[in-house]
Amino acid sequence: MKFADRIQKVDRRIIYVILLLAVVLPLVFRLGFKTYTTTPVEDLYRHIDAAAGRDDMSILMDFTHDPGVLPELYPMDLAILRHCFERNIKVFTISFLPQGAAIIQMALSEVKEDYPNIEANVDYCNFGFKPWSLKLPIMLGMGDDIAEAVETNSEGLKLENLPIMQNMKNYDNIQVVVEISGSSMGQFWVTYARAKFGVDVAVGLTAVMAADVYPFLQTGQFIGSLGGLKGAAEYEQLVDIFAMNGEEFSKKKARNMSWVEAQYKELPELAQLYKYSKARIGMDAQAIVHVLIIIFIILGNIGYFLDKREQKKNM
Amino acid sequence: MKRQIPLMIVLILGLLFVAHVFIPNKLSSDYLDWFMKWMKVIGPFAIVLGVFSLVYVHYNKIKRKAPTWGYSIVTLTALVVTTAVGFIWGIQEGTPYMWIFKNFNVPLGATMFSLLAFYIASAAYKAFRARSIEATVLLVAAIIVMLGRVSIGQAITHWIPDITEWILNVPNLAAKRGIALGVGLGMTATSLKIMLGIERSYLGGKD
Repeated sequence: MKFADRIQKVDRRIIYVILLLAVVLPLVFRLGFKTYTTTPVEDLYRHIDAAAGRDDMSILMDFTHDPGVLPELYPMDLAILRHCFERNIKVFTISFLPQGAAIIQMALSEVKEDYPNIEANVDYCNFGFKPWSLKLPIMLGMGDDIAEAVETNSEGLKLENLPIMQNMKNYDNIQVVVEISGSSMGQFWVTYARAKFGVDVAVGLTAVMAADVYPFLQTGQFIGSLGGLKGAAEYEQLVDIFAMNGEEFSKKKARNMSWVEAQYKELPELAQLYKYSKARIGMDAQAIVHVLIIIFIILGNIGYFLDKREQKKNM
Repeated sequence: MKRQIPLMIVLILGLLFVAHVFIPNKLSSDYLDWFMKWMKVIGPFAIVLGVFSLVYVHYNKIKRKAPTWGYSIVTLTALVVTTAVGFIWGIQEGTPYMWIFKNFNVPLGATMFSLLAFYIASAAYKAFRARSIEATVLLVAAIIVMLGRVSIGQAITHWIPDITEWILNVPNLAAKRGIALGVGLGMTATSLKIMLGIERSYLGGKD
């Protein structure tokens, strides 16, 4: 068999094994590639951080994703919650998918175990699962009265009686709605909540959807976005270098890699836990896989052009 | 009458909603509040309908011993067991419901999604060819964006992430906005057709 043919007809299983190694090895032996932050992620961080220490401001996290996209989106869930708990930012969580509600439970309990002083219904409130068909009524109703629209939290307690709701009335008390989504891309929130009540919206999405948000970012309909594992890795880093070290956000500092590296050296033990570095470790594997796929594309094309030249010669 | 009544409902409600958006006053906001209360009542019935439909389809499949009927048993068992443990012990952290979620749902879902990486790698090798100028442009853009989205791109040169941002912010944005405008206009046209009774396929059956 000629070289061109051999390249063209590589057994799929060989490709799969190489890919498997490219994914697994960087996860086992950490390569420690640097993380460079981008504007949409920095904007979201800064926006959320502006609610730090306020009793009358909160963020609302809408978990519109299921376990299929957890590897990409779960680190975002953890990073945002950790940011909020670390900086004393009130959080509401809601999901219009049954599986999303279970993910909220998982994420809250995972982060909460490192913050024993954080109390349910005082520092955060989980609205739990609400049927998809109620998304529109709840979304519009929250513009007038959150407690009336949502009614109860995940434990069935009336919202109006909860301490966290004392200074929370409507979207005026929501700094930003962050939809972490594997499919819907926050458009409901933009179409109804933002257009009608002016609430700021941001999204966390899988990498394949990340390109879709750019028109909304340009118009300001999304104030920020986290695109795939890279977005999660960037957010993890911002939480580490600013929130965990008690630093105020500065774009200049976030982009100064020598300053970033210095901050890493002073990280508290809590920030060094594996669960809070998942996205950055995953990005090592993703970087290798991207390079591998590029090599695959180049090799495949070399085979294609050699084959084409052979065919021309034989004609 | 079987046709006229639903068409009238759609027309009247459609016009009322358009009026609500374009004529903001107390009457229209009261109308929305009233409608939202109805939606809260009607909405949960969709869940009942969905569960009934799921049970009906899979029960019949098992009864007829249709191809892959074994999977229907798994589906129905999962439905019954998950619902039962949810009702009995609740759905909070530490309950059997969460155990099922963490040990079945999460790994199964993640596995299915992870398989995509293998298909993409195989497709990239076997099918992503520079057969034409358009395909070559796509291929070059893909390579730049793939490098620009990981730290290796920045390590090679800062131009790669910069070009990646430009690709996403200019050609990508223009194309996405064009598609969004097209979809928006299409949705408006279809909505008008439904409201005016020109498009009736949602009613089912023959005209």
